[in-house]
Order: sequence, then C-alpha cells, then structure tokens
Amino acid sequence: MHEQIKQRLEQIVNNIGQLPSIPDVAGKVITMVNDPDASFSRIAEEISKDQAITTNVLKLCNSAYFSRGKEISSVERATVTLGIKEVKDIVFVAATKSILDKQIMGYDLAKGELWKHGLAVAVLSKHIAMIKKKSEIADIAFTGSIIHDVGKTVLALYVQSAFKEIVSLVDSKQITFQSAEREIMGFDHQEIGEKILTKWNFPQILRDIVRFHHEPENAPNESKLLVSIVHIANTICLMGGIGVGSDGLYHQISEEAIKTIGLKDQELENLYSNLPDTINNASAIQ
Amino acid sequence: MQTLINVGVAQMQTAANPTVLRTILGSCIGICIYDRVKKTGGMAHILLPNGSGSEKPEKYADTAIPLLINNLIKAGCKKENLSAKISGGASMFKFNPNISLAQIGEKNIEMTIKLLEENHIPIMAADVGGNAGRVIDFYLEDGRLKVRAGGKEKMYYKI
Repeated sequence: MHEQIKQRLEQIVNNIGQLPSIPDVAGKVITMVNDPDASFSRIAEEISKDQAITTNVLKLCNSAYFSRGKEISSVERATVTLGIKEVKDIVFVAATKSILDKQIMGYDLAKGELWKHGLAVAVLSKHIAMIKKKSEIADIAFTGSIIHDVGKTVLALYVQSAFKEIVSLVDSKQITFQSAEREIMGFDHQEIGEKILTKWNFPQILRDIVRFHHEPENAPNESKLLVSIVHIANTICLMGGIGVGSDGLYHQISEEAIKTIGLKDQELENLYSNLPDTINNASAIQ
Repeated sequence: MQTLINVGVAQMQTAANPTVLRTILGSCIGICIYDRVKKTGGMAHILLPNGSGSEKPEKYADTAIPLLINNLIKAGCKKENLSAKISGGASMFKFNPNISLAQIGEKNIEMTIKLLEENHIPIMAADVGGNAGRVIDFYLEDGRLKVRAGGKEKMYYKI
C-alpha cells in the first residue's frame, strides 16, 4: 500500500471540486430522457442554451454514424428525426470529449487513444444490445461505454508514480491490474470513475457500468446485463489493441457476463472478427 | 526525415527507408518483413489465424503472410533477402480455457510461425504472448523493431 497516494486520492474524492466537471446540459438531458413529461421541444430548448454543445451536437447529428441521410440543421429537428435517446447519446459524445480526448500518461495512452477506445466500445456495446434484441437499452450501453474509463483520467498521475509497485503485485500475487491498483493506491479506476459520476449526479445504471466494467459478476442484478455488455465490448476492443495501454490485457474476461448476455462462442468470435467494421463506425463519429 | 505510418487493425503496408511503420497490438500479431539489401519492408496487422478465404486477406495470418511477401517482391525485394520479426498475440489475464475467444492470441502466434516457416522466411525475433499490450515501431532504415509494452521498451536489431 502506498499511503501517500491513498491519502491524496481520499482527499480528491472527498473534495469533489478536484474531480473533472461536465457541462450541465449532459446531466439535464439524461434526467429529461427518463421523464415521460419532458417534450422534444423542451429537451431541444435545454440543449440550445449551450451554444458550444449545440454546434457540436449538430455536427455529430450529420456525421456518417448518426445521420439518417437528410441534413439536420436544428436541435429540435434532430430530436424528431433521430429520437431523444439518440440525441442524448450525441449530447454525451459532445459533452465528454474534452474530458477524455487527451493523453493519459500513467496508462501510456497517447492523446486520442482513450477517446477512440470509448467510442469503439460504445459502438460495439450498442451493436451487442441490438443483436441480442435489447434495443431498448442500446442507448444506455452506448453512453455508459463512452465514459466507462473516466476514472483513468484522474488516476493516471498516481498510476504513473506507483506503476512499478502495481506491476510487481500483478506478477507476485497473480491478480488483475485493477485489483492491484486498489491494493496499492486504495482505489481502482472503476471506483474513481464512480465518484466522478456521483459528482455529476448521473443515474445509478451509468454509475454501475463505470464501477463494475471489469467485474460484472459483482454488479447489482438490475444492472448486470448492461454492465456485462460493456464488459464484453471493452474486452474485445482491448484484445484488438484499441486503447490498450500499460495495463495491457491484465484484466479478466468474465464467463458470467457471457452467460448473462447469452452470447455463443461463435457470436463472440464474430464480434472480434468484425472489429474493422466497429473501428470504421467509431471513426465516423466526428 | 522519417515518415510515420500507422497500420490499423487488419491492414497492411509496405514502404522503403526511411519510413517507420507503427501499430498497437493486443491479441493481434504485427508481422514485420524486411529486405536487408533493398531496405524495404512491410507490416501486416492480423486479427485472426485463418478465415474462409473469401474475405479481406489482410485480416488473417494464413492469407496476409503470402500477400505481404508478394507485395514486397512486387516492390523489388528478393525473397532470399527477406527476414521477419513478429510481435503481439497477448491473451486476457488467467482466462478460462472454455472461452474459445480467449485463445485467439495463442492461435495467432502458432499460425503466424507456421506460415512464415512454410514460406521460408526466417524469424529473427518473436516478442509474443503474455498479457501485455504492445506498441511496435518498425524502422525501415535498418529493419530494427522497437516494442513498447507495460511501460518498458525493447529493441530488436537482427535482420
């Protein structure tokens, strides 16, 4: 255990001012999507209050991944054409980019790699939800995937100074990288991520995805399916080298997650084999 | 000036000195072949050991390797001057052997070595297996390969 780092991290999580912020509009839109009384026009109005987000949202609506062909030139039009769940996902991409699209030193990720990893996992999670006929949760799988590693943005600095200790614990005790993070620093990147989402007042399901994406078997029953989907998508992207950093593949693939989703061997292999399509779709989000 | 070319998943690239070919690997294999006389080389980033034959040949070890050799010969390389270095093929940590997906890293290594042997391309270095992700840089000025994994760098010079 590295006492200094642990104390420093305790200070950070207890003083949420030191955790990253997200534009208010993201939290508001998430709440409104779950509110049956919120109309398309009210959601559009809320988004339009943030000029920078609006510009990016419109650009993303017309990107090859989200576009339905016709040019979308207003947020209100976007909510009607794409639906509010899709618009919520788009707001999310726009609102989180500046937090995630940077170099992540301790994990040895060059600028853009963590961001591209999140996009690829999001595209793949959504695809898994669709092929498993769970289209009603596909949007949550997408949003949860975008931010599943947000804890790394805060923990990276400390991983960098404790890296040797973490790696030698992985070796000597034969435990996963994030278990070693927890043993050495008192927190792993999942727990730090959960604190960040708590600061943002995000719904429990998204907090569970962030908190349990490497250990879906420990997720509460009501979120197990979504956590499992993101876990599998994340595993496949890491195996494909997308966003694989200094923590490498020192993570376990959960058999329970495979069972929870009901994925057959062949389906799993197809998801891996189709990674080039996933990468193309993810790069069409811009 | 060295030009850096990123080789993506299931992609292949050939180039001449002074280019650097880079890729990032998990369970995939980066196959680097070099002509020591012509100072020209190529990299294939394969995802799987073998496919059905009808798909993208760059994706599979069994089709990518002959294609890469052919592309190099078309670029003026001589087969007797070619040698290979391979890297990647990592597996998820302590995977359950029931999960066939988790064995892909190992299968990729086996098939890559087999195909290079069948094609009579000597393997000068194999930085493969384990659980680390790898970033590899293949320098076409002299055929050296830099492998960065788990915060450490290794350099392989033999060609």
